[in-house]
Order: sequence, then structure tokens, then C-alpha cells
Amino acid sequence: MEPLLVVRNAEKIYGNSANTFKALENISFEIDHGEFVGVMGPSGAGKSTLLNVLATIDSPTNGDILIGNDNIAKMKEEALADFRRDHLGFIFQDYNLLDSLTVRENILLPLAIAKKPAAEIKERVDTIARTFGISNLLDKYPYQISGGQKQRTAASRALVSNPKLIFADEPTGALDSKSATDLLESLSKLNVEHETTIMMVTHDAYAASFCRRILFIKDGQLSKEKFRGTKTRKEFFQMILDELAQIGGDVHDVI
Amino acid sequence: MTLFDLALKNIRRNMKSYSLYIGSTIFSIIIYFTFVTLKYSEDISSLAETSKQISSIMSASAFVLMIFVAIFIAYSNSFFMKKRKKEVALYSLLGVRKRSIGFMLFFENMVIGLLSLVVGVGLGFLLSRALLTILMKLMGLDIVIGFAFSIDAVINTLIVFFIIFLFTSMQGYRVIYQFKLIDLFHAEKKGEELPKARMISAILGVVTLATAYWLALQDLTTSPIWRMLSLAMPIVIIALTVIGSALIFNSVLVYMLSIMKNNKRWAWKGLNLMTSSQLLYRIRGNAKTLTIIATLSATTITAGGAVFGLYYNADKNVQTYTPYTFMWEGAPQEIDPHLIEHAETVHSKTLRIEQGAYEMEYAVIKQSTFEKLAKNLDWSDIQVAKDEEVLMIDAFYNEQWSQKVDSVMIDGTEYKVAKLYDKAVFNTFTIGASAIVVTDKLYSEITADEKTYQAVQVKDYKNQLALSEELAAKTENFSSATEDYRASIEASGALLFVGSFLGLVFLVATGSIIFFKMMTDAEEDKGKYAVLYKIGVSKREMKRTIRSQVGMIFAAPLGLGLLHGAVALTAFSNLLMMNLLVPVLIWMLAYTLIYTIYYFITVRSFNKTVH
Ligand SMILES: Nc1ncnc2c1ncn2[C@@H]1O[C@H](COP(=O)(O)OP(=O)(O)O)[C@@H](O)[C@H]1O
Ligand SMILES: [Mg+2]
Repeated sequence: MEPLLVVRNAEKIYGNSANTFKALENISFEIDHGEFVGVMGPSGAGKSTLLNVLATIDSPTNGDILIGNDNIAKMKEEALADFRRDHLGFIFQDYNLLDSLTVRENILLPLAIAKKPAAEIKERVDTIARTFGISNLLDKYPYQISGGQKQRTAASRALVSNPKLIFADEPTGALDSKSATDLLESLSKLNVEHETTIMMVTHDAYAASFCRRILFIKDGQLSKEKFRGTKTRKEFFQMILDELAQIGGDVHDVI
Repeated sequence: MTLFDLALKNIRRNMKSYSLYIGSTIFSIIIYFTFVTLKYSEDISSLAETSKQISSIMSASAFVLMIFVAIFIAYSNSFFMKKRKKEVALYSLLGVRKRSIGFMLFFENMVIGLLSLVVGVGLGFLLSRALLTILMKLMGLDIVIGFAFSIDAVINTLIVFFIIFLFTSMQGYRVIYQFKLIDLFHAEKKGEELPKARMISAILGVVTLATAYWLALQDLTTSPIWRMLSLAMPIVIIALTVIGSALIFNSVLVYMLSIMKNNKRWAWKGLNLMTSSQLLYRIRGNAKTLTIIATLSATTITAGGAVFGLYYNADKNVQTYTPYTFMWEGAPQEIDPHLIEHAETVHSKTLRIEQGAYEMEYAVIKQSTFEKLAKNLDWSDIQVAKDEEVLMIDAFYNEQWSQKVDSVMIDGTEYKVAKLYDKAVFNTFTIGASAIVVTDKLYSEITADEKTYQAVQVKDYKNQLALSEELAAKTENFSSATEDYRASIEASGALLFVGSFLGLVFLVATGSIIFFKMMTDAEEDKGKYAVLYKIGVSKREMKRTIRSQVGMIFAAPLGLGLLHGAVALTAFSNLLMMNLLVPVLIWMLAYTLIYTIYYFITVRSFNKTVH
């Protein structure tokens, strides 16, 4: 089967001609349909930059990014908007919920944008809310719920339109460990049961241990790749810790 | 549920920020509509026939007001748009095309604009009458303005605001197209560059301002530059002032703050470093806003000061030549004794005295009468005429023009003029401007017809029009301070009215603009203050930083505005040859006071937003 996402020689340079900074250099990899990929690396390594470039939020300076048959590195603004609407979902550290809309309305926003019929919207919102365990919160406002619940709302919004690919940037960064575990388990379940493809940036080994594969990035370049294979989550967690220790990454940053 | 429904819901739940925006547009429309209605009103038009000046003042003011409401609406609009950045960014992230978002914002803004226009004109029609009446009352003007619904005014308002709304709606489009999705995620990372103080532009700013001031203070009649530029001169001065202010904010303040920040002893104490850095960023970023505020303040101060000065002088002018409320020739009349402060009967003889080539007519009064009259007026320099002496009163005396008289001949005897008073001790219209005070003995010896006058001082003299008219009908040679005051206020009525109207509007608006500005800043600074709180900075210390931060944004443009105003009013008072020092100082103080109230309100809201 063809890979879902292909990245070829992606490069991102910040700054003007006088003062440039290469945040990404010569990045190439592929993600298959139904994968749960983690991206790890020390702070400032370029993880967020990579994710933003893949998620069409930012554009690469050079290189190609193919999702299906579309080269998003070369797409125009309008086409990109349509592409995001039809194929991508986002979860960020700081939720990005609209305070003036209820949890339900926040979740159904992507469906409303895609002009889905009301009956279908209701059905899908209820289903996804059940998956993330927030069915009883649907009529509350974001300021009335906890951080973990907000993040599950954001995740529901990202997933409600059945996107091809979910991007998550440090989704557990602002959560306590219980909320983080709940969210990661839900994502994991969706990945297994519905073959949702997820790419998650994190610097937390525990969060990373829920992934099936980890890409390590350092100074803007891919440095290593680890597969979970048939290992248990605990074993994978230990493996990641060892790996980080070996890279000399900021272990203190991990826990 | 469609995106349209959600957007509507969002409007309903964000009513607070919407109502702030809608409120300020409606406010602008009411103000403008009221003014334009006035401009087209028949009474003003008939006034205008008598004076071309008034009609040109009205047109110029309408123009100033138009520019001003345009700035004001553009300002509230950008404040409003900033608040919605997150929402817009999210729509874009979720895949709504920019074109659709832009259209949505354009449509929304036009709908808001047209609705406010309908409401504003409607309310304006209802309120303008009340507004004008209040203003008339405040000014003590008894003109009844016929206030018919003017189609011309409606059309004028509709066109002006339609254009303004079209412009601000386009602005919305522009914001969308400039906006990059990545900005939403990098907002806090975006490196704010610390501004560097540029010596050249600092010097240039001072020089530009100095030139503007120098030009403004030139004598109109003799200055060759005025002759050269003539009518373009005010525009040149205003342009130089505005440019100079902008340069000052851009450089001079930055320069001063940099010095403060680099002074480690001061800067590394408490939150001083944070305060000064914050201000440094703000000032460069806000040079435009600060310039607008300084210009508005200057306009308000100048308009208000000029109006108040004229007003104040009207009172003084009247008092100069009509010190007694009422005077007339003949017997006393019946007046409510509760009203009367002083009432004197004055006997006077008329003498013709030769003075060089001319023969002058003087009213002669007794020393005792003079003393009574002068004491009523609280004169402190009452002199007693000895034998062989007289006192002279000449209300029109002018050192440059008048001939000084040292002695007078009365019935063949020469009397020395012991003192010359250049102010009136009674109403010049009834008895005359020139008088001689003689001893009681001499008075009885003078053979001339004696006339009897009544001088009455009444409480609250400005508001005794009915009494004044009643007396005028019954007496001869009647003079009335009440009537003089009314006439003098009426003569400059349109000017006073326009001035106070604009002053009031600008006062409210200047405060609102700073308020908007500071609230935007507060919204942006929320995060910074949250961090400070987390690292253990006390609320009290944070409040202190906020006070200085807000204080600077208030004080800098106020200071410059006061300076501009002072220069403009000096020029104005030179032009009219009036001494405006006292009223202008009072007005500046009042303005500063109101401004200070705004400051406290703003600090409070800032604190509320941040915590
Ligand atoms: N807009 C920008 N301009 C310049 N440099 C940037 C910008 N955004 C990020 N960087 C730099 O790029 C590098 C990678 O940043 P980022 O991808 O955010 O790191 P992280 O791996 O912690 O998510 C960092 O060194 C950062 O300083
Ligand atoms: Mg990051």
C-alpha cells in the first residue's frame, strides 16, 4: 500500500537574508496509513516547526510533502484551506477552543464548516464525545471545565470529521498525569480501532510510549527511529528512556 | 447547524465586545448627525447670512468632526478585530477559506455599520434636541434653535458614514489577507525588537516643533511668512506640529527611557526593568496612537480654552464698561428688595472743559458719591480729593492713544488732577465714560444743571433679563449689564457653540481612544503578568507597574497636548488682543482633571483584565 505521508528533503529556514537560521534540514520520512508516530527531541530541536510544516500551518522553504497525491508544499492558500478542512485534524498544547461556544458547538465546528446535515452532525458529535468521555459536558462552556476536559474537547474536534491525519503538538504538555493518560489512551484506542493516523510531537517519554514508532530529531535533523513492534508499552517506555540517555538529551526534561 | 449560525451565536455571546464597538459607532453617528443638523438648521443659516465667518466655521468644524469620527471608528474597529483574531485564526485552521472569512467579516461589519446608522440617526434625531438644549443651558444662551428634521443632514450623515464603514470593512479584508496562520502559534515568540533611540530624529522632532511654535507665535500683521503663505499657514503649522509630535514620541521618549533602563541602580530594582522595557516597546509601537491623542488633546484644549476665554472675557468686558447691573436717569423704580445688593442715587452735573483744541464734556460727581459707588465695586484704590484737586475717571483711557490731562479749569480756577482712574465707576452708557470727581464743597459751587441717576447692583446679574426689559420700558438712558452680556454672548454665539460642542466631543473621544488602546495592551500583557505572579511578584507591585505603564501613555500625550494648546492659545489671544491667561489656566486644569479621572478608570479596568 502507498504511504499516507511522504516527506522529501524538507528544509525550513527562518529569518531574513542577513540573519538566517536553519530550523529543519534535509528531512525525509514516510508515514503509512493507520500509524501512530511520535516525534521526540530536545527543546528547540525543530519538532514544532516540523509539525507546523506538515500540517500546512507553515510552509517549508524547500522540499516536498505529499499527502496522498497532493503536494502540500506547492499548494495555494485556497487549496490548502480546503485540504485542511477535508483531511487534517489538530490538537495543540493550549487547546484553542472558542470561549463563546459550548463544548458541543466547539466540537461540531469542523462539520459545520464542511456543511454537513444537522442529523449527521449530532450523531457524530455524540459518538466522538462518548469516545473521549465528555458526553455529560457537551452543554458547558470551556471556562467551566478542566484542562484535561478541554484537551479532550479539542481532540474530539480534531477527530470528529474523520480526518486522514491528526497532528498533535505536545497535547499533554499542560495536563496532569491522570488527564494525560486518559487522553493518550483514547488516542491509542482510536488508532487501533479506527486506524486513525496520528503524528504527535512530545518531549515526554511517557506520552511517547503510547506511539507505535518514534522519530528522534536533533538540531533540525532526523537522528534516529525506534519501533515498538511487539513490546509492551512499559518496555517501550524503558527503551525510549535509554535512547534519550544515550543521545544525551535532556533527561531531566522528560519527567 | 451552519457556520453562519455559529458565527451568529458567537456574536450573541460576545455581546460585550460587540456592544463596545457598536456603542462607539452609534455615539459617533449621533454626534456627527447632531452637528450636521445644526449646520443645516434654518436659524444657523439665517445667522450665517449676517456672518460669512460663522458658516465657514461650521463647515470647517464639520470637516474636522468627520475626520475625527473616521479615526475614532477605525480605531474601535481595529480594537474589535484584534479581539476576534483567535476566532478568525481558528476558522482558518479548520479550513475555511480566507475569502470566505474575509467576506464574513466584511458582511458583518457592513451590517453592524448600517444598523448603527439607522439607530444612530434615529437616536440622533431624538437626542440632538436635548443635547443642544443642555448645551445652550450650560452656556447660558437663550437662543431657541428651531430643530426640524433635515433631509440634507440625513443624507450627509448617510454618505459620510457609508464611506467610513466601507473603508473599515475593507480594512477587515486586509487584516485577513495579511494574517499568516503560523502567527497564531508564534504570537508570543514573535521577537519584539527593542527600539533604538535615533539621535537625528530626536533632534529633528524638537526642531520641527520649535519651528511650528515659532510660526504660530508670529505677529499676523507684520510677519513676512504669514504674508507669503497666508491661508496655507495654519495648515503648515498643524502639519509641522503633528509631524513633530510623532518624531518626539518615536525618539525623544525612547531616548529618555533607554537612559533610565540602562541606569542599573534604578532599573534593577523591583519591577522597574519590566516597566521601562514594557514602555519602550509600547511607545515605539504606539507612536501613532500617542500622536493622535496628543493632537486631539491639543485640539480640545485649544477649542475649549478659546471658548472659555471668550466666555470669561465677555463677563469681564461687560463689567468693565457696565459695572452696575442697571442704571438709568430719573427716579428710583420698584425692584424686589431681595435681589438688590446695592442701590445708589447719583447726582451729577455736566461740565464742558477746554483741553487744548477740544472742548470735552465731563460728568461731575461729588467725592462722597464717588466713594459710595467705588466701595460697592470693591475698589481698593479709593483716593480722596483735597481742596484744589480733582480725580479723573476715563474708562476708555489708553496709554498709547489718550492724552494725559494734568489739570482742569473749572469756573476759572485750575485744579490739579490728583489721580486718573482708567476704569468705570458707573455705567458709561448712562452717564458717559469720562467723569471728574470733586470735593463736596466744590460740587455745590458749580453752577450747572443737575441730573439724577439710579445705580442698582443686582444678584445673579446674568439672569435678570425680565427685570431688565421691564426697567428699560419705564426709564430713560437705561443701561443694563444683563442686556450687554446677552448681546455679547449672542454675537459670538455660533463660535462659542461650535467650540464647546467640539471640545466636549473630543474630550469624551480622546478618553475612549486611550481606553481602547490600554485595554488592547492589557489583553496582550495578560500572559506577562501571569508569569510575574507565578514567580512571586506581589499584586501590589504589579499594580504599581500597571500604574506607571498606563500613566506614561496618559501623561506623555497630555503634556505635549498642553504645550501645543498653550502655544495655540497664546497665538489666539495675541490675535484677539485679549488676556486669556486665567481662563486658559482654569480650563487646562479642568481638562487635566477629567483626563486624570479617565486615567483612574483605565488603571482599574487594566487591573481587572490582567488579574
Ligand atoms: N519564527 C521563528 N523565527 C526564527 N526562529 C524560529 C522561529 N520559530 C522557531 N524558531 C527557532 O527554530 C528552532 C526550532 O523551534 P521549534 O520547532 O519551536 O522547537 P521545538 O522542538 O522545541 O518545538 C528553535 O531554535 C527556534 O528558536
Ligand atoms: Mg515545540
